[in-house]
Amino acid sequence: MKLAATKPITLVLARELALAALLLVGVSFVVFVILYLSPGDPFSVLLEGQISNHAARAGLREALGVPRTWYVQYLSWLGNLLQGNFGTSIRTGLPVFGEIARVALSTLYLTLGSMLVTLLIAVPIALHSSVRGTTALNWLLTMLAYVVSALPVFWLGYVAVYVFIHQFGVFPLTARIAASSERTWPFSLLPIFVLGIGNGTVSEVVRHLREEMSRVMGEDYIRTARAKGASVWRHAFKEGLLIPMTEIIASKIPFILGGAVIVEQVFNWPGMGRMAWQAAQDRDFPVIMGIAMIAATLVRLGSLLQRVVYVAVNPRASNERRGAAWAE
Amino acid sequence: MGAPLLEIENLRTYFHSRSKRAFIRAVDGVTMVIARGETLSVVGESGSGKSVTALSIMGLLDAGPGVISGKITFRTDGGERNLLHDLEHYVTLGEQDGRIMEVSKDEAGWRKQVERIMAEVRGKEIAMIFQNPKSALNPFVTVGHQITEAIRLHTPTKHPREAKERSLYWLERVKMDSPRLRFDNYPYGLSGGMCQRAMIAMALSSEPALLIADEPTTGLDATIQSTIVGLLAELKSELGIATLLISHDIRVVSRLADDVAVMYGGTVVEYGPAPEILGARFGLKHPYTAALLASRPSAQNVEEKGGLPAIEGEVPDPIDVPRGCRFYARCNRVTEDIRDACARHEPALKELTPGHHVRCWLYGD
Ligand SMILES: Nc1ncnc2c1ncn2[C@@H]1O[C@H](COP(=O)(O)OP(=O)(O)OP(=O)(O)O)[C@@H](O)[C@H]1O
Ligand code: SF4
Ligand SMILES: [Mg+2]
Repeated sequence: MKLAATKPITLVLARELALAALLLVGVSFVVFVILYLSPGDPFSVLLEGQISNHAARAGLREALGVPRTWYVQYLSWLGNLLQGNFGTSIRTGLPVFGEIARVALSTLYLTLGSMLVTLLIAVPIALHSSVRGTTALNWLLTMLAYVVSALPVFWLGYVAVYVFIHQFGVFPLTARIAASSERTWPFSLLPIFVLGIGNGTVSEVVRHLREEMSRVMGEDYIRTARAKGASVWRHAFKEGLLIPMTEIIASKIPFILGGAVIVEQVFNWPGMGRMAWQAAQDRDFPVIMGIAMIAATLVRLGSLLQRVVYVAVNPRASNERRGAAWAE
Repeated sequence: MGAPLLEIENLRTYFHSRSKRAFIRAVDGVTMVIARGETLSVVGESGSGKSVTALSIMGLLDAGPGVISGKITFRTDGGERNLLHDLEHYVTLGEQDGRIMEVSKDEAGWRKQVERIMAEVRGKEIAMIFQNPKSALNPFVTVGHQITEAIRLHTPTKHPREAKERSLYWLERVKMDSPRLRFDNYPYGLSGGMCQRAMIAMALSSEPALLIADEPTTGLDATIQSTIVGLLAELKSELGIATLLISHDIRVVSRLADDVAVMYGGTVVEYGPAPEILGARFGLKHPYTAALLASRPSAQNVEEKGGLPAIEGEVPDPIDVPRGCRFYARCNRVTEDIRDACARHEPALKELTPGHHVRCWLYGD
């Protein structure tokens, strides 16, 4: 009785939350093991050339309070995390959470901006070709989108840096381009465009949206909408655009984050990607773990958004979910 | 009663078969007339072009080349117009011995022109209902909202609350049970019969001059079928709305139709008053109509086989249409006198008695 009264959205949220928690633990474990197994450790990087004596090193570790066995290390990390403590960066000695928070916003700005660029390019092409079929114009646009998408994002990035910065002298390249600074915001458009255009996302968004929209355009209910003189777009919007758009975005988030690591390197963009890169070289495991957690959370958030939209939009799904909850 | 509401003259709608690189002559010279307030029923075997005729009237065909010639005169209080007006500007036909062998069509210009003409007509003056009502309603929108949308689009009622009242009125009119409840339901929660009632309510809510119903009872349970037919009969006598009813089921047709058009292989082979076409005693009949009636299944059969009459032989291939009478290969009434004509020349549609037309060499002169 209680479950039947629960809103389907609430159930979806609860389920997603439980899944996310499990996933995060899994991801953290895997990342930890990989870090543990990979050669090198933060102390050798940090103390390079300073202390060569093996015994002295072990003593230092002991003094810093680093436990010996890997699973004790992992469990203590996990325990701290549960209390909201991400640990401290080995490199800077500052709390990891603060370090990440400092750069997270500029990565968010980069990735959300690039998604917007992708959609602004892909959606019109997809809609036009799903309704008009293959005209010369949208064939050309689609081809262009596919070709540009096929370019590796680092290559596109270096070309953009070369052309705009070295040739035209615009976008002065400094390490201090801050997204938040008002005077410098135009500089941030270049990496956003590079990440939005390259990375293979545009072509896949075009393809997915076109397929779904064409399928929906062939549905009986769209024929009914036309027969009654109503707007086809209005009737096709939910199934033909909204649902597939959230689907493709959710599935692209890992690739966009991966692309961000490269773009941030190329453009010296002070974000999480660059921080992750740096941390990987330093074997700064609390930072790597922290960023891995944030990235995994973002990926989960994407699929949560997709589920929520799907259930909110699709009356049948919301009821099936309710039915499923009954059965459980 | 004056000039008829809708007059279709020599409508041709072709498609392109990519694999055979030839035309599918789905509708190949259809002529028929719908009088005001009357029901014209179109019957014929599967593939005879009934649905394509209906979709051609509504301008709803997307596959090319689509409608290529003809005239559809539609007369309302607002005057007379040709729903295929100016069509000839966008189509060029290449003929060879009286047969269309080549079509070049400016698809974009044609589409624009169709949308221009039909924007005033679709849903407002001509409404349409389909078979499989469950998939014909938008699954993402409540039933009530779909009806309200039609009302707000096509009637002076624009205020949402008034439009809702009006929708409820129509839901009651089509005898939807607990209309207030159904108003907020999504289609998936409704049975096929209820969905068809909702479709009918939606179609009638804009008070169109013509309703096109393409097999409105196909796909529904037998008992639901007969209640829907009963509903259509009631609405017909109450509202006096003209209807183009496409159906496989002769029983449905005989309950509702004033006139009947029999289609075969993309053309109308006979049309006239329903009693003359369907009546057993009336002598002048196209051999195909006679065969169709003779193969009329028993009530039991209808339920088991979905009412499809079976006549020996195959319907003509719409890609490779025979030169002579389209029914020649299956006709058992060819006499030696006319055999040559039947095999070589397509007979014209001749008016035998007032309002009764037959396309067969057996009749006329
Ligand atoms: N979009 C299309 N593209 C190609 N051929 C089509 C298309 N629509 C219909 N046809 C063909 O046109 C012919 C007539 O089809 P139509 O749907 O009008 O038949 P029908 O009389 O309504 O049959 P049924 O009783 O099965 O509904 C068929 O041969 C069909 O295959
Ligand atoms: S024209 Fe000839 S073949 Fe055709 S229906 Fe009449 S008799 Fe039969
Ligand atoms: Mg049909």
